[in-house]
Amino acid sequence: MSTARPQDLACRELVELLTEFLDGALDERTRTQVEQHLVLCPGCTEYLRQFRATIGATRKLAEEDLPERVKERLLDAFRHWRHGS
Amino acid sequence: MPSATGDTGAEQPMRAWKFLETGRIAPFGGHTWPATAGDAPGAWVRFPGREIFACRLDDLPWWIAAELWEVELEPPVRALETQIAAAAGRLLRRIDAWDGAALRAYGVACAERARDLAIESLTRDGRAEEAQDLGRARSMLELSRVARAYAGGGKARLSSNLAGYVAETSMRASEGAAAAAANITANAAVVALADPSAFDRERQWQARWIAEHTGLVAVPVAAV
Repeated sequence: MSTARPQDLACRELVELLTEFLDGALDERTRTQVEQHLVLCPGCTEYLRQFRATIGATRKLAEEDLPERVKERLLDAFRHWRHGS
Repeated sequence: MPSATGDTGAEQPMRAWKFLETGRIAPFGGHTWPATAGDAPGAWVRFPGREIFACRLDDLPWWIAAELWEVELEPPVRALETQIAAAAGRLLRRIDAWDGAALRAYGVACAERARDLAIESLTRDGRAEEAQDLGRARSMLELSRVARAYAGGGKARLSSNLAGYVAETSMRASEGAAAAAANITANAAVVALADPSAFDRERQWQARWIAEHTGLVAVPVAAV
């Protein structure tokens, strides 16, 4: 059998592939496996929906929408994250 | 037959089928397909750098969703394992017979196939009373409960395994999750017959069920 079977892909594998899936960056076989998994798995379908909603919401944000205090706190968090502390 | 490149050889727009979510929404892309107007087709849909996907009859069980549409694909059409692809497509008409009731009935029909395989296996293993119990279940929920009770324990492994599949597929069918019920049943057939090709045969049976209950007629790819 060469048919891509949806059970070849576990939910946690799908989660790891989702960004590439949405970017259209997966090869044809893997994309088909992701889509066949989504047909069968309401949990992953909901995860995809939330992922898309988050992308849509963040696209609407501009830098100037952030209050100065929030921007400083975020930058501070990123600086510490990059330094591994 | 499709060529080695996957090109179906179709030179005219090709008829096929496509499952969409309620409201003509593409299940994976999230976009809404342009509506038909009476007998007039919807507007062509094309995305730069991306293809439009649709189903041949045998592909249908892989892509179950709430709405089923007849679509037209712009040639050339590329044949893949479980779908076909083209640069553009448009909606022709909704298959009205594929509704919520048909979706549920399809799931139940699939689960009943798994139940019958389990009954045969239980009977062969000398578990006639348990087989009769499965046959007497009056609903998918009851079937799932009864089958789950016979799935475990140290009894004959094959029939117990199959009872486990029945418990799962009938539970999914009771929830209206027909695609999952169908997939579990196809896997149960592989186990029951100890034959990997049983998966594809079960998928073909499922495709026939959909076609017969919705009035679809197969269009041979090479003839289009």
